[in-house]
Amino acid sequence: MLPQRMKKAFTDNPRKVANLIDLVNLPSTLRTFVGQSQISRLGCFMHVWSYIKTNNLQDPNNKNVVNCDEKLKSILLGKPQVELVELPALIKLHFPKEPK
Amino acid sequence: MGRLSPSFRSAIFSNELIRKPPAVSPESPKPPSPKPSHFPNKKSSKTFRKTKDAGTPQTSTSSAATIFNSPDLSSAKKLITSFAATNASAAQLDTRYHNSLLQSYSAISDVRDTTSLLHHMIKTFPSFSPNRSTYHILLSQACKQQDANVSSVYHALNLMVQNGIQPNQATVDVVVRSICSAGRLDEAVELVKELSLKKSPPDQFTYNFLIKNLCKSRSLSTVYGFVDEMRNFDIKPDLVTYTILIDNVCNSKNLREATRLIGVLNDCGFKPDCYVYNTIMKGYCSLSKGSEAIGVYNKMKEEGVEPDLVTYNTLIFGLSKSGRVSEAKKFLQIMATMGHFPDAVTYTSLMNGMCREKDALGALALLEEMEVRGCLPNSCTYNTLLHGLCKLRLLEKGIQLYGVMKEADMKLETASYATFVRALCREGRVAEAYGVFDYAVESKSLTDVAAYSTLESTLKWLKKAREQGLAV
Repeated sequence: MLPQRMKKAFTDNPRKVANLIDLVNLPSTLRTFVGQSQISRLGCFMHVWSYIKTNNLQDPNNKNVVNCDEKLKSILLGKPQVELVELPALIKLHFPKEPK
Repeated sequence: MGRLSPSFRSAIFSNELIRKPPAVSPESPKPPSPKPSHFPNKKSSKTFRKTKDAGTPQTSTSSAATIFNSPDLSSAKKLITSFAATNASAAQLDTRYHNSLLQSYSAISDVRDTTSLLHHMIKTFPSFSPNRSTYHILLSQACKQQDANVSSVYHALNLMVQNGIQPNQATVDVVVRSICSAGRLDEAVELVKELSLKKSPPDQFTYNFLIKNLCKSRSLSTVYGFVDEMRNFDIKPDLVTYTILIDNVCNSKNLREATRLIGVLNDCGFKPDCYVYNTIMKGYCSLSKGSEAIGVYNKMKEEGVEPDLVTYNTLIFGLSKSGRVSEAKKFLQIMATMGHFPDAVTYTSLMNGMCREKDALGALALLEEMEVRGCLPNSCTYNTLLHGLCKLRLLEKGIQLYGVMKEADMKLETASYATFVRALCREGRVAEAYGVFDYAVESKSLTDVAAYSTLESTLKWLKKAREQGLAV
């Protein structure tokens, strides 16, 4: 386990960083949720996560689980419950890799 | 854990040679930024010692702090004329007053306007005769001008000479430091050579400053070339120069060259002082060569050089790093008997070593001990401990420590953040890991990208581990 080295490799890779922070044109579902037509993957994650926090959507018995409301469902594959573990992966689905 | 912690870097010394111009407008040329010293010792206080030289701009900026609020030349001229009118009775104004006026205008204008204003001032204030400091204001501004070339510097120099003031060592110093602070090192070198030809060579402080800057960004051969060239002007490297060179080669892990330099230093008749030894010791320590570091310590003893706090801190850091914690602890005793109080750096290095030896609880006990002895732990201490505790799977203690850090608004370091997040995720406490992520972003410990990418990759790893039935 070498978190430090791993970390370095990541932030040193400009393409991966760009992948996180580049603005992307959003599909309509996400656009209504975010309220913007363009957002980066990082910004989108922050937006969703703060939405979860402000609306207290974390399950009171198990904080690791999010009970989705209708709005959140619309962007997270319609799942009624989402684990925090998969949140980044689910958001990534909206940001497909661009073909070279 | 292997790198030199930030607390090892000694305090930042500001370069006071050119007084900070009053912050009148955002586009004012920046005063020379404080140079963080990467020596583990206080060498920089030596290098920058020449701050109150006779010829430096002495400005009493208080009176002129907010006088000029636009870089427009004509309005500045009007302002000067009105000053001259109101102060006509009190004609005995100090030159310093005039200089401070000029300085405050130079902070917001370009060098051509400042020169015109100077001419205007000479005309309107009959009592004003520009002195060396006046021209130094012009010079430092000319050197810092972004787009300008060296010609504006020469122009200012010529103006100075025409008015009967020969450039002296202080002038060279002002020029060199200003140009370097604008990041134009090559031009500084050229100017120094040219000024040396014109019989105003730099003094030892300017020379060392330049060498230090060259070391930072140029190849070793360039530096040596410059040293050789300056020998023609009878400027030879002194002990400080050699320390800078040794530090430079040690930082690039070139210890063979360092050893050679020590030989040269001895041949030149210099006796290595505490700083030189500390620098060499740091070189060995950064390569985890504990025995050699002790060897340096013994040599110091033999030669009768008194080790200082930095020596002991370096030694304890090096020994901890190379896994010889028990010896490091012994030196903690020795330094106490020698009358040096261990500080946060000492304790943090020792804790680092103990955590490496899987004795995180011992490190935690040391935290209590240092607090009892009245030594305040810093954020680096806490980060080291957090990292160690999480690595050794003492998560509960880690969470407690994190609570303390959060209360004190301490920043998380990259390594301890990543380890902590992983430790939390490993226990399935993903929500808490999100909380740590939030804190890292809020407290601006890491960039959003760095914090998020760590979280993301950790979660990815956790998902995989779960699929394989390896994690909760």
